Amino acid sequence: MISIKNISKWYGSFQVLTDCSTEVKKGEVVVVCGPSGSGKSTIIKCVNALEPFQKGAITVDGISVGGPKTDLPKLRSRIGMVFQNFELFPHLSVTENLTLAQIKVLGRTEEAARDKGFKLLDRVGLMAHKDKFPGQLSGGQQQRVAIARALSMDPIAMLFDEPTSALDPEMINEVLDVMVKLAQEGMTMMVVTHEMGFAKKVAHRVIFMDAGKIIEDCTKDDFFGTPRSERAQLFLSKILHH
Amino acid sequence: MFSGYDFDVIQRSAGYLFRDGMTFTLTLTALAMVGGIFFGTLLAMMRLSKFRLLSLAAGGYVNLMRSLPLVLVIFWFFFLVPYIGAWIIGAKDPVKVGSFLSCLITFTMFEAAYYCEIMRAGIQSIARGQVWAGYALGLNYWHTMGRIVLPQAFRNMLPVLLTQTIILFQDTSLVYVISATDFLGAASKVANRDYRLVEMYTFVAVVYFIMSYGLSTLVKSLQSRIAIIR
Repeated sequence: MISIKNISKWYGSFQVLTDCSTEVKKGEVVVVCGPSGSGKSTIIKCVNALEPFQKGAITVDGISVGGPKTDLPKLRSRIGMVFQNFELFPHLSVTENLTLAQIKVLGRTEEAARDKGFKLLDRVGLMAHKDKFPGQLSGGQQQRVAIARALSMDPIAMLFDEPTSALDPEMINEVLDVMVKLAQEGMTMMVVTHEMGFAKKVAHRVIFMDAGKIIEDCTKDDFFGTPRSERAQLFLSKILHH
Repeated sequence: MFSGYDFDVIQRSAGYLFRDGMTFTLTLTALAMVGGIFFGTLLAMMRLSKFRLLSLAAGGYVNLMRSLPLVLVIFWFFFLVPYIGAWIIGAKDPVKVGSFLSCLITFTMFEAAYYCEIMRAGIQSIARGQVWAGYALGLNYWHTMGRIVLPQAFRNMLPVLLTQTIILFQDTSLVYVISATDFLGAASKVANRDYRLVEMYTFVAVVYFIMSYGLSTLVKSLQSRIAIIR
């Protein structure tokens, strides 16, 4: 579904990604972890071309992301993305947040878009807040709306960029619950997160990155059992013992 | 101490001052504001464009306008617009352009440079993640700008935009250099005709003060209300 081949990326002369390759199959849940600055957020943003890359190739569902003739808006509309800071549109109500892209991009009628939006809002348990503005919701609620917004486009895959990092501890679970359910329903997911509990529960594979390189790319059991690299062992020992 | 002055002249000429003069001033201010914000926003989008040619052109225009005295631009356009108009439609003789239209074009183009800088700051104040979120949903540049970035930028910048409009309102008085009959121009004509310079110019000052101060008070209360919403 998502294929990343030998990606390299520079900010000026500073190399942020070095020769990264991996593959995410249909229905697979892949967790990307690593210390901050390791390039994990950057690589996930390359998948839907929010960040350009200079070398290598990424294809999503057979379509080249960096290709000169690629209809980027169309491709992006098929890949859902959830951000660390939610990025709901603060000047629009929850309902408008859910329907805007459905109407403008997919050409759905307002009624159809609203039906779809409400169905998803109900699924994340926030139907009661449909007329509120993002600023009136808690962080956890905002992130659930953001997930519903991404799902409203009927994506073929979902990207999560540290979806729980900006949340208060007591709100992390309500968001993770939604994500776990999504994973169990068979959604193809690429998740940048430090939530190892989530990884243990639903991930098929874990990718560990450091300094712009993919150090480990293995099954969940291998990763939590015996990571091959010293760097990953050190990382795991640090985040699992606190 | 006012025995030598004749303040009745104000009452006698009030109809002319407000019906002709103030209408000119307010219409010019309102239309130049709308046009200025429209073109200013376009210029701001150009300045922030990743296409170098667009950003250079917009940057050059803004810097040029902001480096010239307004009076000069008013003069310049007044004498030049007829020729530009003739050149555009291919006419032989200069096009007849009324003083109001000439002023409107001048102020729209001049103020666009200032509104541009305000809108540029406004657009840049919107977190990059908002643009990302729009793009990630498949929205194109125009939808992302029009539905996500600009509404927020506009709301954030509303107090500054209105403050600039108050300055514009005061600056419209400079049209007296081409003998247009704005509020000041009308008062000046009455003052010279009746030789009541002190009375008329004092009255004009009071009216400008009341209107500008009233508007800026309004902007202040608006500012605090926006701060609460945020």
